[in-house]
Amino acid sequence: MNELLIDIGSTYFKVCSKEGISQHFRDFKKNIYDDLNTKCADILSKYAKEDTYICSSANGGLSTLIIGVTNSFSLKYAKNIAYNSGINIIDTVLYGKIQESKIPSETLDVVIIVGGIDSVGGFFDEKLFAYLKKLTYSNIVYVGSSKDAHYLSENIANLKILSNIITDKLKLNEGELKEYLTNLYQEDIVGKEDIKHLYDITSNQIYSTPYIVNRSLPFIDAEFDVVNPFIVVDIGGATTDIHYSRDLVRDNMLTESEYDRLVFKKLGVYKSRETLIHAAKNNEFVYELLAYLNVTENILDEQSEKALRILMQLSIFLVLCKVSRLNSVYVTLKLEQLKSIVLTGGITKVLTHEECESIISFFYRKIMNLHHIPTIVLDSNYDIWTLGMVQQHHQRSETCR
Amino acid sequence: MKVVTGVVGNDIHVVANRLIDISLQARGCEVFNLGVNTSLEEFIDAVVETDADILLISSLNGEAEGWCRDLQFLRAEYQLRDVVFVIGGNLAVGEAKDSDIVPKYKSYGFDLVFHQVDLNTGLDALEQYMKDRS
Repeated sequence: MNELLIDIGSTYFKVCSKEGISQHFRDFKKNIYDDLNTKCADILSKYAKEDTYICSSANGGLSTLIIGVTNSFSLKYAKNIAYNSGINIIDTVLYGKIQESKIPSETLDVVIIVGGIDSVGGFFDEKLFAYLKKLTYSNIVYVGSSKDAHYLSENIANLKILSNIITDKLKLNEGELKEYLTNLYQEDIVGKEDIKHLYDITSNQIYSTPYIVNRSLPFIDAEFDVVNPFIVVDIGGATTDIHYSRDLVRDNMLTESEYDRLVFKKLGVYKSRETLIHAAKNNEFVYELLAYLNVTENILDEQSEKALRILMQLSIFLVLCKVSRLNSVYVTLKLEQLKSIVLTGGITKVLTHEECESIISFFYRKIMNLHHIPTIVLDSNYDIWTLGMVQQHHQRSETCR
Repeated sequence: MKVVTGVVGNDIHVVANRLIDISLQARGCEVFNLGVNTSLEEFIDAVVETDADILLISSLNGEAEGWCRDLQFLRAEYQLRDVVFVIGGNLAVGEAKDSDIVPKYKSYGFDLVFHQVDLNTGLDALEQYMKDRS
């Protein structure tokens, strides 16, 4: 491998070169570029800008508001595309209830408006314009019926119009919106003081890490003993992501992608530790789980290596609960059909295979009433991320040719 | 005419669903087939997104009753007054009389109810209903 791959996480840097993979804990007193330069100056100096590839999940990603006419199509499709483009923060407004919807106080990076197939129009009216006037946003994009495009562009300043994400057969068309959001992510990075200097060390596009992980999934069996259907759980410092095979979902959405992504914004073990503990204390099975792990709830208030391990085990359990039948708010995955669970992210550097297996066994026995558990694979060397970066690089090279 | 169709609830009778799709297309309809395992909310949402004229729900395992009780509520919420709501197939578990089944489903908000009626007979009746309405 002649390229240098760098992943900027909210807690760690991961650097992959021909000499192997190394990781470095972030120094939060420095900006990302300075921190990276201090810790990896030697490696950085050996690679040209065009051979350096960076992805980042730091800086929280883009904040997004989606306004759509139905939950089952407009909002669901747009949310699916946004998650698969690597966006973490998504709020939705059902157009029929727009007058009662709360106004987000913070500045939104992008507002997405969607509704209807191309042959139908008249979905939006003055209510939309009145709502938009109360918002503060940087970008606004329309991906709904082409019949409404002209009317909306006359009434909304700087509206970007892309092809409808709902096809004439009510299927999903993700191409243009996905590309738009991925590019927006890059523009966002260029503008952010903390990491914009990263372009001093690379001449390639900086992608969001979840986007890269999502791209690696069709090739995952080349690196791991993973059998479909599988999930990849990425428990990081700020958020927890689940990437899952679409075979595990019971819905009528047909997409080109075989894998989807879901983000839990507040289940990270460092930056969102408090909310993780709060979620744990509100879970009816957690006290039984703590007893199973031979600890008391006091461990949640401790700052020790052992407390961190318990917290990470809790986060695996809570994430599985959130996608099980226990919780209908999120996507419900058919966990009884799951063949493999791949764990990646900082968690693999802390927990052993046995500790992960123990917690997953508890979940399957207690919640699923099953004694057989899926195969557990620990991506301790960040191979999934490397795989995704290499795939992205190869695709770009093919396109250039 | 635009028709949204599919099989409601936990019913996976896909062959009947395909036959309905083909028959509707043969009669000149633009069909949006949501397939099997479809919830009532998804049906209503598909009607909204496509501005369909007809919602035709099919059910064969007899459990449609449990899945369709909220139709009146959803119909009012989305103000779908002009859409024709049709349900057909096997609409009860075990023995049931038409005289019991039809009024029950009509009270849920369906305009036309076909319990154990041959597909083409049902579609003929639907066509006639649409003609009379216009």
